[in-house]
Amino acid sequence: MNILKLLITVIFLINFFSSDLKAKNLGTEITKNLRCLICQGQSVYDSDSEFANSLKILVEKKLDDGLSEKQVYDYLKNKYGDWILYDPGFNKNTYFLWLLPILMFVFGGAIILRKVILKK
Amino acid sequence: MSSLIGYYSLIFGVGISILVVFFSIKNFNDTQNLDIKVISLVFLQLLFVIISFSGLILSFVNSDFSNETVFNHSHTTKPLFYKISGTWGNHEGSLLLWLLVLTLFIFVFLLKSKNQPNQYRILTLLFQQIIILGFFIFLIQTSNPFNHIFPVPKEGLGLNPILQDPALAIHPPILYLGYVGTSIIFSSALAAVCSNNITKMWASHIKKWVLVSWIFLTLGILLGSIWAYYELGWGGFWFWDPVENVSLMPWFALTTLLHCVLVLEKKLILTSWVVVLSIATFTLSMCGTFLVRSGILNSVHTFANDPERGLYILIFLFILIFLSLFIFLFFHKSKNNNTKTFYLLSKETSILVNNWFMMYFLSVVLIGTIYPIFLEVISSQKISVGPPFFNKLILPFLIPFMMAMAIGPKLKWIKSDVEDKIYLILFFIISLILSMLIIRNLDINFLYNTVLITAAFYLFFITLRDFFHTKYRNLSQIIAHFSFSILILSILFNNIFSSEIITNLKINETYQDQNLKINFESIEQENKQNFKAIKGKFTVEDQSGSIEVMQPELRIYNQPNIVTSEADIKTNMFTDKFMTMNYVQNQDYFNIRYQVKPFMIWIWISTILLCCSGGLSFIKKKYEN
Repeated sequence: MNILKLLITVIFLINFFSSDLKAKNLGTEITKNLRCLICQGQSVYDSDSEFANSLKILVEKKLDDGLSEKQVYDYLKNKYGDWILYDPGFNKNTYFLWLLPILMFVFGGAIILRKVILKK
Repeated sequence: MSSLIGYYSLIFGVGISILVVFFSIKNFNDTQNLDIKVISLVFLQLLFVIISFSGLILSFVNSDFSNETVFNHSHTTKPLFYKISGTWGNHEGSLLLWLLVLTLFIFVFLLKSKNQPNQYRILTLLFQQIIILGFFIFLIQTSNPFNHIFPVPKEGLGLNPILQDPALAIHPPILYLGYVGTSIIFSSALAAVCSNNITKMWASHIKKWVLVSWIFLTLGILLGSIWAYYELGWGGFWFWDPVENVSLMPWFALTTLLHCVLVLEKKLILTSWVVVLSIATFTLSMCGTFLVRSGILNSVHTFANDPERGLYILIFLFILIFLSLFIFLFFHKSKNNNTKTFYLLSKETSILVNNWFMMYFLSVVLIGTIYPIFLEVISSQKISVGPPFFNKLILPFLIPFMMAMAIGPKLKWIKSDVEDKIYLILFFIISLILSMLIIRNLDINFLYNTVLITAAFYLFFITLRDFFHTKYRNLSQIIAHFSFSILILSILFNNIFSSEIITNLKINETYQDQNLKINFESIEQENKQNFKAIKGKFTVEDQSGSIEVMQPELRIYNQPNIVTSEADIKTNMFTDKFMTMNYVQNQDYFNIRYQVKPFMIWIWISTILLCCSGGLSFIKKKYEN
């Protein structure tokens, strides 16, 4: 019975969601991943500084010009450097950044595997 | 006057520290003396630090600007509440608070550990005194809160307005209770190693301290998030900002330790691992203080920084790490049963799996936070590591993690079998169908999001069933895992279903799209004690025709002269409506940001529930099953 009640509640919730759906704005999503260069640890999206506002307009303009999401990021990277992107790409500067945690995970798994008897 | 008393109390405190060290070494084997002489000395030390701290509070309350700290961070027109909270809203005062908690905790520790071996207690006290001495010297040498200025200024510089907020007034003390609690765990673990006292009794005794630190750290992080949500004006609650990460790292370590101590308490295995974790937890807390205070990090939180202070903490940190490594390598005797192997389906293994994932999350956050610093030093290349990095490396791993969280606690010690297989599979199918129904119409990655939400739902249903089915055995564990599932679910849904409108409006203008209508009704001005408020009045009408009045506010503070934007938030059980307005220079319109954020309140509720489960476990006598 409890499960049934839960199901009904959740289905109700789904309907609640679907009434409120809006497509996300690509420009906004991009500005969330850009650092506001003149602020202390804020994204362009979060900031209301002059720099951030002009960048928001720039991103929209580039999208209107027909650039893809990736092209916009590349354009900004060339103009302002890696510092502006919150998503550090996978390149020679960041091999360690991306791979070290994964290596830790594999290493940890190996330690546990050694301690555990797999057979019943 | 109160500054002078405060300063001399600090000096006396140092003196007592030295006396405590002297007497504890002298009476190391004399069990009688510990309780009489040493405890009263520790109490006296606590008293002096309290006097010193009260002295600083008094200087703030009386706006005594001959004190440099007060001059830099206070103002006569500031409300009394924020004058008091200003005491720890700055570097010097917050360190004094650290010291206060350090001395308070060691005093409580001595009172509460009377059934433990005396040598172990003395050793804990000694290690704690090393930390306390370090902080005393740090305070007096590089960040004295009682520096005198002459001639006495008439007015202070004021406190950063975004810090004048009730949540942030109590955020530092709560967070510090968590941070400093880890110092007791650190000292106690080292003492237990030295006196060869790692027993089941020690595990259940130190578990209390792990729980206390964990609860306060969780609460402290929560308060910081809530503050960021309504004060920073962009509607987010977590940004993977370096300073946020720094508080999250000891949290991961503490959570790991919490699970590990349970195994130790029950089976006396994994002893070395518990000691390493205890050392790591405190080191991470100290690293946090170092990274925040040194100004190395680029963050919203860097209010006061000074390289000299950073250097001091760094040296102090290295001494502590060196000391603990030395003790661990030379004194630690690994118990024989440490080499014992585990069965795959057992509680031990499931806790190891928890540790495995927790350590992974910790390493992601640690590497993501400090890697950019190292890269810049080595190759002078500046990169940013932000939310996308952490989301990519953490979210996918949450899937197996949450599945393990659901099944792990059902297993028994040593060797067991999975019971209720039908239910486990049934719940999985239900979760899967539900997630697919929810995700089907959205233009987001279907497979990834479905699997992620399935895992969260799975944990949710399984823990919910356990709650009713197990007759409240292991209640704290079930509630903890249950609230974690709600936390993740609400974060995911919040992320997926949030919507927002950003627009520029003049008074009497209306914004309209197919879903809603925002009308800028009016604006009014109000003069408050230390700021001028500009209140906007907006009506928001949605599809169904229900009208909500929103009143976001701009505050122009007089001292320092800063404009802040106060969001107006309408909260109910399902969704938050969030509106901010911002002043645009040389324009007659305002920038309006309106957000609808579903399940916001459940993020807070689930975290509070998580803390409650910790509290429940604290009250409970013994870990069952």
